Amino acid sequence: QHGRVKVKTTAQQEEEKRKEREKKLQIYVAARDACFTKRKDGVFDDEALQLTQQLLSSNPDFATLWNYRREILLHLETVRNQDEVQKIYEAELSFLESCLKVNPKSYGSWHHRGWVSARLPRPDWARELSLCDRCLSLDDRNFHCWDYRRMVVKMSGVPVKQELDFTDRLIGSNFSNYSSWHYRSTLLPLLHPQAPDTPSQCGNPPPSASPQTHFHRVCEEQLLKEYELVQNAFFTDPNDQSAWFYYRWLLGRAERDEMISCVYVSREEERVAVAFSRPVNAQSVGLLLILDGQPQRVEWQSVHPHFKNSPVWICSLPPGTISDVANEHNLTVHWTEKHSHRDCALYTGRSESWCRDTATDLELFRSELSVEKTSVLQSELQSVRQLQELEPLNKWCLLTIILLMRALDPLGYEKETLAHFQTLKDVDSMRSAYYSDLCSKFMIENTILKMEYAEVRVFSISDRKLTTLCHLDQLLLVTHINLSSNQLQQLPPQFAMLQCLEVRIGTLFFLLFFINLNSEISTLADLQPLASCPKLKRLDLRGNPITQTTNAEAELAGLLPSVTDLLL
Amino acid sequence: MGVSISNDHVIGTSAQLKDVIIKPDAPSSLLLDKHADYIAAYGSKKDDYTTTNSGKMDTINVDKAVEFVLSCMNFDGGFGCRPGSESHAGQIYCCTGFLSLTGQLHQLNADLLGWWLCERQLPSGGLNGRPEKLPDVCYSWWVLASLKIIGRIHWIDKAKLRRFILACQDEETGGFADRPGDMVDPFHTLFGVAGLSLLGDEQIKAVNPVLCMPEDVLQRIGLQPDLLS
Repeated sequence: QHGRVKVKTTAQQEEEKRKEREKKLQIYVAARDACFTKRKDGVFDDEALQLTQQLLSSNPDFATLWNYRREILLHLETVRNQDEVQKIYEAELSFLESCLKVNPKSYGSWHHRGWVSARLPRPDWARELSLCDRCLSLDDRNFHCWDYRRMVVKMSGVPVKQELDFTDRLIGSNFSNYSSWHYRSTLLPLLHPQAPDTPSQCGNPPPSASPQTHFHRVCEEQLLKEYELVQNAFFTDPNDQSAWFYYRWLLGRAERDEMISCVYVSREEERVAVAFSRPVNAQSVGLLLILDGQPQRVEWQSVHPHFKNSPVWICSLPPGTISDVANEHNLTVHWTEKHSHRDCALYTGRSESWCRDTATDLELFRSELSVEKTSVLQSELQSVRQLQELEPLNKWCLLTIILLMRALDPLGYEKETLAHFQTLKDVDSMRSAYYSDLCSKFMIENTILKMEYAEVRVFSISDRKLTTLCHLDQLLLVTHINLSSNQLQQLPPQFAMLQCLEVRIGTLFFLLFFINLNSEISTLADLQPLASCPKLKRLDLRGNPITQTTNAEAELAGLLPSVTDLLL
Repeated sequence: MGVSISNDHVIGTSAQLKDVIIKPDAPSSLLLDKHADYIAAYGSKKDDYTTTNSGKMDTINVDKAVEFVLSCMNFDGGFGCRPGSESHAGQIYCCTGFLSLTGQLHQLNADLLGWWLCERQLPSGGLNGRPEKLPDVCYSWWVLASLKIIGRIHWIDKAKLRRFILACQDEETGGFADRPGDMVDPFHTLFGVAGLSLLGDEQIKAVNPVLCMPEDVLQRIGLQPDLLS
């Protein structure tokens, strides 16, 4: 029950109310029991129609009665001719319309209307569409009506363009637009798809009706028009959050193709690591390792036993297979399900090798923009900045400025981005943890881009108020890591994706950097991931709350037996 | 667009700014004993309840079911009733729970969905079910449990939400209502209590976000659905 205000009454009023309720209940129960009896006896007569109508008028959420009513109607279909059936169902639609006037949000009523419309010998889809128009003009957030409308559109073949124009009208006239923008997000990719291989061509035939059309992007020409449309909306009303949500989607990018993004092989560890663009279950997708032309029987393991789906998978080769540094080896990893593969050559004298698409190559964190799109986004950035000056407390402006800067030049705007995030946390403090995590993600992306540009394997990001670690699958090849002076509270289990960290072969200095955090290591659980570093010898935990816990030394000795040098 | 509502907690002068005001004298501590009495009054004998026979996972084509659920994913990372339906916190809860039980949480865009979910929190501290709707205590469950499943429960302001949930209690009868001042019912009482548990209230048993059952019960039968970290 929603929205029922509690009202205080006197004892006498209570008693009168109770008597009245009792009377109504008796009538209701009698009618209901009569229905159930009739149904049980397989009776499908006029009285049954009347009784169910009576009850459903006041309680359209009584699903069982709609079920019974459908049984009655199905029976009538068998004993009446088509014209009579047409009239019966038209009467049903009238009845439903009166139900919907009283309660336009009953699942039962809308479902029944859909059922009737589909069975009507001569449906009048125009009438149904007009019903939707009327209903939505009263409440354009009624998702029952929107869903019904989508069914009508599908059944009667209403052109996508016509529906797009409908959303145009609604968006132009109403404040509460989320449902309309949402509908647009499904219509645009149908009408103006971005063909996967040719990002800027328009007018390509639409793809077959894939359910996940939102994953299909919009061709550039229409996208730029859409930016303008949305910008008009949020300039007209900067507090219309639906436009800002939709704009964020427009600024986003397509899902990556599923592929192998990196193969790494270590001669010393006799290990192969494979990174995918999305989490996969290597044990079920047919991942094949071919070494020098010979298929290998290997067991693929994800970096953590808990992860059945992971972007990084590892296997060990039989001892001695590739350990002789005098030998050259050729590896191929086949992803048979996707008909994709990756080669990696391990040359003589080399202790390791890899083959990788960089984040820059893959446009993981930003896309290469056309001149036209760059120009449009730059002018949008300018406009939103102006709006932000007029509305300094509007968090949507601040967030959108950040997103535009990410799209245009993530490295160039890094400093400004950090400043805007700080303002955002002040303006919208309820969500400051979200902004901290989002900022962390962007700083990590920037660090990865800088690392790739410098062609080094050192990941260093300190004093950036990092609250979370992500994109760890991109750090497969990293040998040294510096995360000091941040606000990380724990190591995520995905940390094990860093397969090349020097700590695994002996040097330990990265851990000294890492532990030098802002004193947040407070429980044994925080240090759990270190237990999988068998070569860890020295651990400096000074300044962390964990040193205050009783019996800390003994517990740590138990967790990390290889540590001989423990500073608390 | 003016709004006239008899509940003097509710404010709204335009479509965008629907929220409630929590009065200074609203309940601010957890009235556990009152709630226990309220629920007990509904009857506690086994005969008072009927159970339905739930189907077994192996009779369902799980791959097709997953495919269907994913086809309901929207531009904002959320889920609606059917493919093409607008995102709604109730559907999101069902879908994230489903994806947890079928080991498919990695198919979500957790950052995008988490953002949409944390934007459900209004200035009153309460959560709504979708943009521009009023807050409701039951969304303390649907939204909060979803956030917990995808590992982003810290993205909402826990203290403010707790204050809102507590304000939905009825000091006289016990139980929780959908929003402060309204009539209580068992539905909202369950989700108010469950929401407080997820927020870490130590007076309440830990609740599992996927199945809305006490964790100790699930531990006993060895059932631990996936959660994202």
